[in-house]
Amino acid sequence: MNEHRSPSSRAAHRFAAPVVPVLAALLAMATPGAAREHPPFEARAGLELASAAAHSWAADAVLIYIENDEPLGSAGSTPRWGYLFHSAERDQGRAYSVRDGNILMAENLPMRFEAPPVGSQWIDSGAALAAAWQAAGHDFCRDHGGQLSTMLLMRGAFQDEDLESAAWTVIFTSPSAPSLFVMVDADDARVRRTWRG
Amino acid sequence: MRTNHRVRVLAASVAALASLPMSRVPIAGAQTETEVVVERARPQREKHSTLQFLKQNRDFIRYRYDRLRQKMVAGRGDAGPIDPRYLAYSRMLAGVLAANDSIAAADDSRQSQLLLASITDLGGLEAQLDQMDRTLAEQRNRLGILQEDFTGHQETALIVVLSGDPGQAALDSFTFTLEDGAKVEVAVTEEQRESLRHGGALQVFHGFVEPREQVFEVAFGGAGWPAGDAGFVTLAPERNRITLLRLDLTGARPAGGAAGVRARTWLHDTGPAPRDG
Repeated sequence: MNEHRSPSSRAAHRFAAPVVPVLAALLAMATPGAAREHPPFEARAGLELASAAAHSWAADAVLIYIENDEPLGSAGSTPRWGYLFHSAERDQGRAYSVRDGNILMAENLPMRFEAPPVGSQWIDSGAALAAAWQAAGHDFCRDHGGQLSTMLLMRGAFQDEDLESAAWTVIFTSPSAPSLFVMVDADDARVRRTWRG
Repeated sequence: MRTNHRVRVLAASVAALASLPMSRVPIAGAQTETEVVVERARPQREKHSTLQFLKQNRDFIRYRYDRLRQKMVAGRGDAGPIDPRYLAYSRMLAGVLAANDSIAAADDSRQSQLLLASITDLGGLEAQLDQMDRTLAEQRNRLGILQEDFTGHQETALIVVLSGDPGQAALDSFTFTLEDGAKVEVAVTEEQRESLRHGGALQVFHGFVEPREQVFEVAFGGAGWPAGDAGFVTLAPERNRITLLRLDLTGARPAGGAAGVRARTWLHDTGPAPRDG
């Protein structure tokens, strides 16, 4: 394909070629926060840091809940996870939000929430999400234009049996259908049940 | 931030508050010290939300947990496993006692051998000295294990000290407030002021803190210091390390408030001694 350019456009092209990257670099430098990407990670990667903070807060702090604080990727990673701990001694819950290997924020939970500890043996968010996709997530998203919304790790709240182990609850939402909930056993990645609501 | 622990630690600190010579305050190399700004106003930070699903659905989730508590659950009452370290300690203790016995026996033997001037006995004496060396090495090894088990794990902590001659600034009290509102108030006595004038330092806080960037509030009290004035220091205590913050009162002018005080921070190394042998 022949390309015809006028002398003036060629001049403009010669001028623009080195200038555009320079301008782009300057713009990127001017807005470092906006341009910065926060790498996604699976839930367990932030747990050690959150636990260290929780034990500074209360020696008896136990992990009771995990939730994604920013949108999830299809592999079960997100740039920010929230970890909730409970201290029986303080009779209080404290949440830590971890991003970029740092605690972005910490706050006392403004509500009473006494959930049982999730323990230390649980599959990571990637494995749990893979099971949820395969069980019903793919079909739901295809049929209803749905999308992955939320992942929660806790023990007991959505379980009617097998209460001794924690479970991931994966929630898919759709603008045209009730949300899909998929509960995945946090011990062995077995899908315990699915429901709509 | 464990308040009870803090109170205990602080009580000990206040009791021993009297003049901690500067040479005893752990100060790292100058290259690791960083000047921090004591600001007049609390720095504004970007707001973030966390656990949104939980907060939006808290009534439902709490209802589920209430229901769960009312349900009879067949539980197991298994005893937990015993930490193998505790089993090892009794073996170590037996080793210590056995080592003591062998050292005592060797000592008795050596005493009696002193009476023998025979050249051929020197070989036996050397063997006994070797055995004592081995016993000492084993003892150091046991001490290393105990040190790692009981002192090896350093949690994130912060120590705050005051130093420098406050000059004419009459410092009567110091208040240190953590981000969660926990407050530590320390009265500064004449004896302690005198200590500061002569190069001493006062430890005013030593406690666990969360390993994250946070704002600490500092306030000085006394004649000339503005009532209700406070300064704000932003620190990011490093995980599993001791962070030190030194507030230098040298040349402090009360009229300028807490923001006029110079501050420096550094990390203190407290790793366990290397295991011998």
